[in-house]
Amino acid sequence: MGVEWKHLIKRLADRGAEYVDVRYVPKEENDTLVMWNGNLIAFDRAEERGYGVRVLVDGAWGFAASSCEEEAEAVFDRAFDNAAAASKRSRRPIRLADKDIVKARFESPCGIDPFEVPLLERVAIMKDIDSALQHKNVPQRVVSIKTTRKTIRYFDSEGAEIEKYIIEIFPAIQVASFDSEGVMQQRGYRPPRLGPTRGWELMNKDHWKRESDRVLSELFEVIAAPSCPSERCSVILMPDMMFLQVHETIGHALELDRILGYELSYAGGSFVRLDDFGKLQYGSEKLNARADATLINSPGSFGYDDDGVPAKNRMLIENGILTGAITSRQMVMEANDRAGREIFLDSGGTSRACAFYRVPIERMTNINIDPGEDGTLEDIIKGTERGVILSGERSWSIGSTREQFHFATDIGWLVEDGEKKGALRNCTYEGMTLDFYRSLTKVGDESTWEVQYVDNCGKGAPSQEMQLGHGVPVCRFDNVKVGE
Amino acid sequence: MAKENAIKMLKELAAYALSKDAKAMFAWQSEDSRFVRYANSAVSLNTREILTKLEVMVYGDRKMASSSIMTDADDLDSMKKAVDKAIEMLPFAAPLTYQPTISAIQETVISEEAYDPAVAAMTSEDVIAFVEEAVSGLETEDILLSGNISSGATEQAFMSTESTEAVYWRATDIGITLVLASLRDKWEVNAEQFAGRVENLDAGALHDRLSWLVELYTAAPAERVPEQPFTIVFGPAALATYVDYHTWIGFNGGAMKRGFAMMSPDDIGQKVLSDRFTLMEDPTLLETYPRPVDQYGRARKSRPIFDRGVFQGFIWRQSDADEFGEKATGHDVTSLSVAMKGGDRKVSTIQEFAALPRDRDILYIPYLHYTGLVNPTKGIVTGTSRFGPLWLKKDGSIAVPYNVRFTVSLKDLFGDKLLWVSEKTVPWGESSHYRSRNPGATVVPVLACVDNIDIELSNESF
Repeated sequence: MGVEWKHLIKRLADRGAEYVDVRYVPKEENDTLVMWNGNLIAFDRAEERGYGVRVLVDGAWGFAASSCEEEAEAVFDRAFDNAAAASKRSRRPIRLADKDIVKARFESPCGIDPFEVPLLERVAIMKDIDSALQHKNVPQRVVSIKTTRKTIRYFDSEGAEIEKYIIEIFPAIQVASFDSEGVMQQRGYRPPRLGPTRGWELMNKDHWKRESDRVLSELFEVIAAPSCPSERCSVILMPDMMFLQVHETIGHALELDRILGYELSYAGGSFVRLDDFGKLQYGSEKLNARADATLINSPGSFGYDDDGVPAKNRMLIENGILTGAITSRQMVMEANDRAGREIFLDSGGTSRACAFYRVPIERMTNINIDPGEDGTLEDIIKGTERGVILSGERSWSIGSTREQFHFATDIGWLVEDGEKKGALRNCTYEGMTLDFYRSLTKVGDESTWEVQYVDNCGKGAPSQEMQLGHGVPVCRFDNVKVGE
Repeated sequence: MAKENAIKMLKELAAYALSKDAKAMFAWQSEDSRFVRYANSAVSLNTREILTKLEVMVYGDRKMASSSIMTDADDLDSMKKAVDKAIEMLPFAAPLTYQPTISAIQETVISEEAYDPAVAAMTSEDVIAFVEEAVSGLETEDILLSGNISSGATEQAFMSTESTEAVYWRATDIGITLVLASLRDKWEVNAEQFAGRVENLDAGALHDRLSWLVELYTAAPAERVPEQPFTIVFGPAALATYVDYHTWIGFNGGAMKRGFAMMSPDDIGQKVLSDRFTLMEDPTLLETYPRPVDQYGRARKSRPIFDRGVFQGFIWRQSDADEFGEKATGHDVTSLSVAMKGGDRKVSTIQEFAALPRDRDILYIPYLHYTGLVNPTKGIVTGTSRFGPLWLKKDGSIAVPYNVRFTVSLKDLFGDKLLWVSEKTVPWGESSHYRSRNPGATVVPVLACVDNIDIELSNESF
């Protein structure tokens, strides 16, 4: 007989808890397959089962987690006691914004459940891709497929009951070789979301053959290329680089818990202040950013967050002006209170935990940049006097308040007088976040827009890894510092 | 769980695998983790998680498959299902070009030197009382406390179907990060401590550092640093970040073979770094939560990686050794015991150093935020300063600088640019909590001075 979660919630409410929720994960499965130079070095199934209990007592949070269902009552009590202990060091009692109480179910759209695909078939497609990447001048090639399938049951003391059934797939390839100076160069590919679903159908053989050929060809370009010149010029970010720029300098910067100082002891703060909402010129007028958890084919969409709030599609930046943030029930109340005005009407539905044994915190959903009206990639290149096209994230380093950044890319291409020239290697660019977005001069149209995924966004303490998405077009920024 | 029970459970699982004609290796872990988090001068989170995980690796003829499960510590049935799963997967594994080695532990080894019952018994009330002492009198309406205090007990046990012997290890660890930050001005300073035993915690030392930094940050002028070369004195957190890159792209044989390393076989025996730089992998250092034997039952010995700048060679984990035809070096542990040796500079704290006369402007950078590996072959790393950098001016005055970015090659940093290294060392905690608690620490000098680092991006405010 299963645990009576609602009974245990009521029991703590009767003890004086102001709020209680439990996330019960009866089963989470994660398969990781990694083929390195043809050797299947990881062929792994990981499963976990358990529950996490979050309790609000006297305005403070307590949390406890376990896999042992027989001890559920004791674990609930432990969470209560933790909250009671925390409340002794409370400065501003935690309050939760109102929400619609729902009894609902969410299922991520999936054409073919990857866990139902025979292992033989999964390995076979990896071998096919590996073969396509094989070349005498490519000493390193990696093919990986990570898949997730999980059920989360959520109950809270306000009466919400939600079940989520989520399937995700994260395939990737990478090849690497040495340039003439003996420096390792790499080129990778992670497919943008190609259709309306999130299942094994992403593993279309023709698509992977085509992309494998392109990745190989671009690796050969980059190992023979000159180094990126050190100068200030335009940079044209392809979606497979733009997503990371947005992730690090819009997404993380606009997490309301960071803005309010809840991540100062680890992940960092934000240069954004509460006074900035509605006023700050974050970027040029061409910049329109949103947090859209309704974009159904992305891991940043999950139906209901771990506060039980339905998915929302909210603007963050409109015509360059900061208007919104990535928010949860707790943080919107505190922000409005501290600001002395109602900046946020309600929760943006972004509170998520990576596992049953972690607490929900503000996480990105799909932090997207709306397509613009500056045409295709070719149109943008034609209008560029001197610049570099940058593609593929190689390294990233961001200031602690997201005020500045440094990125290196897999490959670049020089643009001169409106024409794409040869490839460049060792490309880096860096800058100050606001200066950078204010120099946004071209935003590509729908034809350039892609949904990229992130499967390992780190945040929080204890640390959490989260999956999310970014729908982004090709964008051009001017007067950017580039170099080797 | 008592060690006898853990070993008994692994023996049952091994017998179960053998009954299915399977060759299998088992890694079991149990943790009791507590975490108290502070934000805005309040406890923002108080958690406790009790988790057990089993990993099973099954071996065939040039094949392997693995499964893991996080479940109730007593749930043997679920653990057996994990064994079944790995066995079920094995026939579908693609053949390897080499035969992976399964452990055959020769002798049961039980290690509990790094375990302190007092840590395991710590309550959140104990933690909160300790923090009160460490920040006493330092908070104001504007200066607020943030912090992470992670404490816990970890048990690990390893066994295979090739013997009935086991490796069992348990440890306790505490990691304390306290941050005081100005709500109005947005500066932030910190103090950290990492220890395996309660007796090694020192709230007074945390308080001394924080109060000194807070006084400077509230009194000294805040200034933008010019974008030009600087002499930098790094603190232990920054040094540990750089040293840990060596673990990844320096002396790791597998990474070298895959082309993601800055050292090459030609460097062995060569003086490639400063003679001030000696790096050990030393499992005798209790502050690193050492594993005296690895998961294959191999006794681990102290081993120099760089001896006064001379590269001594790569370490080889078993899987890399199998793949690349090398001999494993006894480093199949979940956390290495890496230590950078202290030097001859007799200075123990930044407070002491800042009071000494100096012949140039020096930046003190205690901590690096979010570094990025720009180029593994060249060992180029970029990052920004954080948590209380200081601008120690030639005239003896001290300013508080806004954060800066610089990009350096590890070969330069620990090579020609390394001017001096403090004699005193400290452990800097690296305990990871992503999926499972993994106590670890890197021992580093409290201070080390590096010359001629280009400040390439300098913030104009906090």
